[in-house]
Amino acid sequence: MSNFLTVRDLVVQGPARAIKIIDGISFSLDAGQTLGLVGESGCGKSMTCYAIARALPRGIAQTGGSITFDNGSGSAGKPEESRIAMIFQDPTSSLNPVHTIGYYLTSSLYRHQGLKGNDARLEAIRLLERVGITQAESRLRSYPHELSGGMNQRVMIAHALAARPKLLIADEPTTALDVTTQAQILHLLEELRSETGMALLIVSHDLGVIARLADRAAVMYCGKIVEIAPTDELLERPAHPYARALVDCMPSIDPDDAEPPIPIPGAVPLLQNLPAGCHFHPRCPRASQRCTASFPGSTNVGPLHETSCYHPAVA
Amino acid sequence: MSKPLLQARDLTKVFRLKSGLFAKHSGHVAVRSVNLELAQRERIGVVGESGSGKSTLGRLLLGLTPPTEGEVLFEGISHQGRRAGDWSKFRMQTALVQQNPLSALDPQMCIGEQVAEPVWIHRVADRAGARDRAADMLEKVGLSAAMMSRFPHQMSGGQRQRVVLARALILQPKLIVFDEPVSALDVSVQAQVVSLLRSLSRDLGLAYVFITHDLRIVRHLVDRIAVVYLGRIVETGDIRSIYEWARHPYTRALLASVPTMDTRVRGVEPPIRGELDISTITQGCAFRSRCPYAIDRCAAEVPVLRHVAHQEVACHRAEDFPRPATARGGDRTWPGLEIK
Repeated sequence: MSNFLTVRDLVVQGPARAIKIIDGISFSLDAGQTLGLVGESGCGKSMTCYAIARALPRGIAQTGGSITFDNGSGSAGKPEESRIAMIFQDPTSSLNPVHTIGYYLTSSLYRHQGLKGNDARLEAIRLLERVGITQAESRLRSYPHELSGGMNQRVMIAHALAARPKLLIADEPTTALDVTTQAQILHLLEELRSETGMALLIVSHDLGVIARLADRAAVMYCGKIVEIAPTDELLERPAHPYARALVDCMPSIDPDDAEPPIPIPGAVPLLQNLPAGCHFHPRCPRASQRCTASFPGSTNVGPLHETSCYHPAVA
Repeated sequence: MSKPLLQARDLTKVFRLKSGLFAKHSGHVAVRSVNLELAQRERIGVVGESGSGKSTLGRLLLGLTPPTEGEVLFEGISHQGRRAGDWSKFRMQTALVQQNPLSALDPQMCIGEQVAEPVWIHRVADRAGARDRAADMLEKVGLSAAMMSRFPHQMSGGQRQRVVLARALILQPKLIVFDEPVSALDVSVQAQVVSLLRSLSRDLGLAYVFITHDLRIVRHLVDRIAVVYLGRIVETGDIRSIYEWARHPYTRALLASVPTMDTRVRGVEPPIRGELDISTITQGCAFRSRCPYAIDRCAAEVPVLRHVAHQEVACHRAEDFPRPATARGGDRTWPGLEIK
């Protein structure tokens, strides 16, 4: 297997060492493939991204496991040498308000590709046009506050492309946007992925977004991956009760399906007092005595379909 | 027929733009000639992209900003004719719930005080009575009375939105305007708020206006939908007819943009390109610059709201759009929005 990115038993801890923000997750990603990370807020999706990008916030560190990249040269490279770019949820606050779009893009092009002066300017215009910004030349002089949220997210994507990434991490890239803009941005990401052959790691709490982009999806809960499967398989036959619950709380627009979304009872527990055994058992309809005692290991429930549950739904 | 609770007649709001050399002549029309009627206990969704004027419409309905033209009537009484004392009575019967619960709550006040505040501001009860009512209300929205002494930063996003809801409901208003109340929340928390709102509106007999850009959530919460584009209502009808057969290309595009759990739509072109374009607002149909079906007539003539099948649509070509096909047992797909 030529996995481009391999994450093995990753552990990320905060300043209070007893708390594991990420607790031993493993997954891999091929070049040109898209993996979706899905789960509620506070389950460690973003921290996984920061760990891969080597951009963990101060005080939080990787304390176990490994993250390796295979650049195709046979030797495993350091993450720093593999080109990773990241885009975030709120594009307007991620951009520096005192710099123009042009400055932002050309400085990145200089850093990553060594382009200067007019070369950098022309490349910046090309990138802006590629991400669907019209009148790109005059936009170079614009500041972030002069653009809409959707436009700023396009600028963020252009900026990410300037690094010619092999892996693009998109952390809730469309959560703050309108549905129409969301559809456009998701389509753009899909186009760029197939054009450049980069791998894409997309994070969202919305299974609809995952369904539009990801080849495979991993469901996270309290710092652990509880289920990983091809996206189709996960949406149609979720084995873990948490995955099932996430599918059930998605509202539908089908007029024949008037059932309101089914909420998941309770809330995500705080990391300071995680329930013993399987962390999901207090909210789980299938929980048994065994679930309170120990965390279930990963089992195969189908082709490429793994889940950590003592009572998985069987197809 | 009983008297409507709320009526908006030819409501128009123009914001004057002060910058620039030609300041005298420039103005942005946020809401244009909107007519809306809401019966007692009726729930309506106002749907559109950001910048479409839906929040301004909500503020106009509550009399938080004066209209440039037209009028709003609440129980037959116009906002313009209301005097100071009447306003206070009106405020007791209405409430506004906004998108970001953290900025709607005072970070220095504990939850109990904030929820009880409207009660003693309007002198409905004394402080002790207000506290009891607040405890009651918190339990109705699914929080425990023990949370009264907490502060907003100690709660999750979903809990905060419940607190805002409790504060809005404590005086038992007849009308609430919800402005994107769930957009900032996780899908799972959205589902919780949806089921809470459904049961509360049933139990309390609430009428509300639900403003959103997300057609997934709103259909479970309202009876009727009005789709707005650049200040105008372009389509309105009951939930079933809109979701079964939307007739305006903008409504259809909004429906097609919804991320469903259907993996077959991967790589399908987005239904509409670009963003709100105010250059076309002055003449003809404002949507024509983004509309794949625009014809010459759309540039010349403003389409007016007219009856088509079960809904009202403002589109010259409303009859041309076919009913969307049903997909394999799942969501109806609106790909390509092909035309007959």
